[in-house]
Amino acid sequence: MALRKATTIPLQSGAADESSALESLVRQLSGPDVEERRHAARNLANRPDAAAVLVSRLAQETEPDVREAIATSLSAIGGREAVEGLIPYLSSDDAALRNTAIEILQHLPADVASHVDGLLANPDPDLRIFAVNIIEALSHPRLETWLSDILRNDPHVNVVGAALNLLSEIATAAVLPAVEQARQRFAGEPYIDFACRAVEKRARES
Amino acid sequence: MPEPCISDVDFTMFRELFYRKTGIWFEDGKRYFVDRRLSERILASGKGSFRQYYQKLRWSDNGAEWQALINALTVNETYFFREVHQFECLVNSMLEEIAQHKTPGGVIRIWSIPSSSGEEPYSLAIYLLEKWRKLSEFDVEILASDIDTEALERARAGVYSARSVQYLPKEYLLKYFTPLPGDQYQLNEEIRGTVAFSRINLADPQDTGMFQNIDVVFCRNLLIYFDDISRRRAAETLYDALAPGGFICLGHSESMSRISSLFTLRRFPEAIVYQKPIRRAP
Repeated sequence: MALRKATTIPLQSGAADESSALESLVRQLSGPDVEERRHAARNLANRPDAAAVLVSRLAQETEPDVREAIATSLSAIGGREAVEGLIPYLSSDDAALRNTAIEILQHLPADVASHVDGLLANPDPDLRIFAVNIIEALSHPRLETWLSDILRNDPHVNVVGAALNLLSEIATAAVLPAVEQARQRFAGEPYIDFACRAVEKRARES
Repeated sequence: MPEPCISDVDFTMFRELFYRKTGIWFEDGKRYFVDRRLSERILASGKGSFRQYYQKLRWSDNGAEWQALINALTVNETYFFREVHQFECLVNSMLEEIAQHKTPGGVIRIWSIPSSSGEEPYSLAIYLLEKWRKLSEFDVEILASDIDTEALERARAGVYSARSVQYLPKEYLLKYFTPLPGDQYQLNEEIRGTVAFSRINLADPQDTGMFQNIDVVFCRNLLIYFDDISRRRAAETLYDALAPGGFICLGHSESMSRISSLFTLRRFPEAIVYQKPIRRAP
């Protein structure tokens, strides 16, 4: 016994092919065994046609590791079906599900962009804050426009605060008029004034 | 071009962005080091200010600048017996646990990825031969993988500079290496023959699906280069490659806890490592 050179890669027999069929993976995804569910979620990452079933399963899955694997696969798959399935979860009472949905959507800039206007117009201010959390990760030419619109029009102080917070990182001089409007609309809010000054400072450095 | 000015606010913003990307956090005491390296990258990238450079990092999909920046801000040099405390942990703690679950004569598999030009897997081989008293009771296989085929060729050739072997104890250098002209050293064939090299892309399931029942993975300073999703998928790949109870060693500045919840953190006297649970509840 000693060091020895591996002559063959330690293959687990049949593991690679056994679970390639979509039907079988979908069945495993809702099976009783945690490891099987996690494996199924992982293996579905290469199946765009599995987006809907993964989205649906995400809301039912209680095991964090499996939920994480589903989230990773959905982030890899992306697409309209995934995004439209995830957006309703932003209103869920389940905080973990909500946060997972935000996290996945942050990774899908191209697919999410067309939904941002709708999210920012939602009557629920919490959902509008989540929308700001999502666009925070998007490299999108309309980013400053979306945020400026919030500063000019959004009635809720926390949504405006979230937008200012993001702008303090990325603002250019183009947003300064909107910043002034936000300051005037929330004149009695010391935090908004503080955040406006931070954005102005950043914008002038640009 | 004048050296860019990096303000306190710039430094704070930058270290938060760098942490989100890599998991590496710079304390205030590292300010001078960070400013120097960051200024160099700002100038090298053709950007005139921190602000412009930050925007590039924040929004650009170009991974090349991130890689150059990470290289500049981390010690990415590989050499024999680098972070030797993890090898001590291997023989004193991890292998002792693994051996308890093996029958005498059983196979123990250690996987080094990325293996680069071979310093890490060969260090493992030498360290085990010199330090693990139970080596004679088991068959130990060292697998070594990298995506770079040129690095793999260099690894197979086993020729190293004096700088690469500078932290090896002298007696090991004499015992396992042959001096070559030009201040180089070639690892003896006996050791080179113990490591099985293979080209692997950690992001490709076709490549990695073959690796199973690994007892210890050394995956140091690789995941910091990945984006969030790739990093999480890589963690899942490594998890699936490990045998139950198997361990994974990351670089000293890396943390699996912020990548995936699959692993259990283990604090051994010599190092913090991550373990695949032996049994998971159904």
